[in-house]
Amino acid sequence: MGDLMGNIRLHDGFVYDRHAYELAPGRDPELLAGGIEPPSDLELKGMEALSAVELEVFQHKITSIVEEAREVYMALSISEGIITGDMNTSVFTAEGDPAVVATGIFFHTLLNYPQVKYILKYYRDDPTVGLHDGDVYFFNDPTCGGVHTFDMFVSAPIFHNDVLIGWAEVGGHQGECGSMSPGGFSPTATTRWEEGLHVGALRIGDNWELRQDILDFFLNSVRNPFVFASDLKARVATCKRIRDRVLREVERRGEAEVAGGLRKILAVSADLAMQRISQLNDGVYRSVIFNDGVGLESGLIRLPTTVVKEGDRLTVINQGVSPENNMGPQHCTWHLMRASMGVYLFTYFFRGLAPNIGLLEPIRTLVEGPSVANCGAEVAHGEGTTISAMNVQNLHVIGSKMLFDSPFKLSVSAPFSRNVMIYVYAGINSYGYRAANFTGTQNLAGQGARFDMDGEHASGFYWASVTDSGEVEESDMRLPMVTLARVIDKDIHGFGKFRGGTPSVEISAAPVSGCDLTTRGASDRLSHNPGIFGGYSGPPNPRFVVKKVDVFSQLSQRTDEVELSQYSLAKEHPLSGEYQFSYSSQPTEHFDYGDLFVHGVGGGGGYGDVLERDPDDVMDDLRENVISFDVARNVYRVVFDQDTLTVDGPGTQAERELARKERLKRGKPFAEFIAEWQKLRPSDDKLLYYGDWPEPNAPGYSKPFWGLFS
Amino acid sequence: MRVSVTEYLDIELPARRWICNRCNTDLGPADRSYKEGCLIANRNPREVHPVIGTDEHFNFSFDPEWIRLVEFYCPGCGTMVETEYLPPGHPLTWDIQLDLDAFERRHMSEPGRASLEDQR
Repeated sequence: MGDLMGNIRLHDGFVYDRHAYELAPGRDPELLAGGIEPPSDLELKGMEALSAVELEVFQHKITSIVEEAREVYMALSISEGIITGDMNTSVFTAEGDPAVVATGIFFHTLLNYPQVKYILKYYRDDPTVGLHDGDVYFFNDPTCGGVHTFDMFVSAPIFHNDVLIGWAEVGGHQGECGSMSPGGFSPTATTRWEEGLHVGALRIGDNWELRQDILDFFLNSVRNPFVFASDLKARVATCKRIRDRVLREVERRGEAEVAGGLRKILAVSADLAMQRISQLNDGVYRSVIFNDGVGLESGLIRLPTTVVKEGDRLTVINQGVSPENNMGPQHCTWHLMRASMGVYLFTYFFRGLAPNIGLLEPIRTLVEGPSVANCGAEVAHGEGTTISAMNVQNLHVIGSKMLFDSPFKLSVSAPFSRNVMIYVYAGINSYGYRAANFTGTQNLAGQGARFDMDGEHASGFYWASVTDSGEVEESDMRLPMVTLARVIDKDIHGFGKFRGGTPSVEISAAPVSGCDLTTRGASDRLSHNPGIFGGYSGPPNPRFVVKKVDVFSQLSQRTDEVELSQYSLAKEHPLSGEYQFSYSSQPTEHFDYGDLFVHGVGGGGGYGDVLERDPDDVMDDLRENVISFDVARNVYRVVFDQDTLTVDGPGTQAERELARKERLKRGKPFAEFIAEWQKLRPSDDKLLYYGDWPEPNAPGYSKPFWGLFS
Repeated sequence: MRVSVTEYLDIELPARRWICNRCNTDLGPADRSYKEGCLIANRNPREVHPVIGTDEHFNFSFDPEWIRLVEFYCPGCGTMVETEYLPPGHPLTWDIQLDLDAFERRHMSEPGRASLEDQR
């Protein structure tokens, strides 16, 4: 084929390699879209001095510093997100590139540095601002290089004898930020002005002391001033710990070796990434995924991903993306689309390599804008991660197809669950202060099936496989709700030769004083958890609450056993009350004492043909209560004794042969299928926000495969 | 020489043909999508994904008005080599479009590289 990118035709009238918004006070898109800064003279001197072995020792040392800082930050914080690992601690190069990061959240590894570059470019030499040892900066603006306004970060320069060596940076999912809904996520926000604080880069402290006037401004801008102040101080304290530790290393090695070592880590990572990419098959790979809502309303949205792999380079292209709308916060920025790829790349594709921004050097990112994936500055951005995660899911599918015929087959798998559903509880907690946040159930999603084994149940958080789910007794104290159960639930993962992992579903209730609930999500009627190589997708994940139930009274009065699981509650309605299943993006609503919340984050996709699943494994699934008898019989086509869960071998073989015959009868040859398929189309009410059908930016498209424009 | 490119699909070299590795059925030229050599079914996803609950639209299964389950079968043995979840009528995905010249160079000229037969 040769010159693969030469065969790709990008649409006229769109931007691809940069943001769809321009320079403004506090943000500079050039700083967001640029790559790693060239090394300074000091760094070059240090890079030359460090041998490969010494660099390894140095990297290990800096890693231990940020890992220690991670523990410090989590221990000092009182926000659920931070405590359970939705955070990062970092050391940046002097020019502001993240070199060594402990996380937490993998995309944090690739974000939150443009603000540092902004400080260096615009404030360092500004006499009204300047840059000095002991300065403390705050930022949270998603258009300036962050994620969403409720992810908040602090950074501080690391000076030694007036020489800038690097930066310490600490932050994570703080939650409440003064947005229209308590707790940060505002699913009905349509402009950035409804999403609370926007701080590009603000010096909030000198000589490691916070300025009281600025602190008062912050505390008067949020609903939970106690939590905000406490966690802000935790970030500053952690930054100082990082800075002090790095300075010890400077005293031991000298300024050049430390500054140059940080920069050399990135250069080595870039080389390693290219070496790995060069071992994969050249070609063009594609995957597409859809959403069923935009925030305020339902509607189809498309996010296609094309990866062109040539030599030691990748180009990731999002072309044919649904247009920007003004109907909700599901809009992503160019830099978040790029950074989010780290979630897949670092965990699977580049498995074994140290996660840092150097790994992205051989990867070119082209995101069509303006669109939902590369939006303007004025729309709401709070759920941009919904869009960027769709790209990551595509990338995971594509990556597995690239890695199958490679030395890195161990990473071949279906994607982790991203059928996002977040319940944000707000009210007075058991300590008596106002709190607004989600619980660690976010971190109990199902893993996608792997090429040689099932996915793990309740494995972790989509964005961060190393997060924890927290202690329910503690979250019951910190948040205005009461956890009744966490259950590995039934029929809520992808089926396959190897099945996806099932989530742990949290069943909780409103306390005596009641509480407010905001829910945000996606994939209510469809799924973002594809299977692979014939595996089925993880299923959709709508909102599920029960009102007027007074669960505490009913449970205390019942003498029989009530199973508190999503499956049982939804199927059997064992408690009297108003059962509500709905679209997940819902504004803040008050819930009374004993109202019930059912909250899970979805199951991973399956791998391979269901008819190849070992029948004994299907029986194990039944014993573990993760599938129903119907699925065992009708999907896996296993014949078994329902009482003893014993497989009828010959009966199963005959049943599966019958299933294959049914397929051959049901399936149609390509031309016949396409002729009928192309007559179909979703109804117009579903396509209001989609763009032109079926290619959002190519009216009249009529090819059997998408993405073919020549 | 056969090279496994997915769980179920090999490419025969130097013929450059897609082959089902479960039954050896030829699925067509490798410079086209293997999906053109498959039997394809448009299914209601609720035949596979159980409806949980009482709501018509929000029930932990797919809404067939929004998304269809497209299954690709080997015409020889009925193995399901791939699935797609697409809005009704949305074009299929040409998911693997290899640079076959580079692929052949890599696999047929690299000394010591094990063939699929060797690996088995």
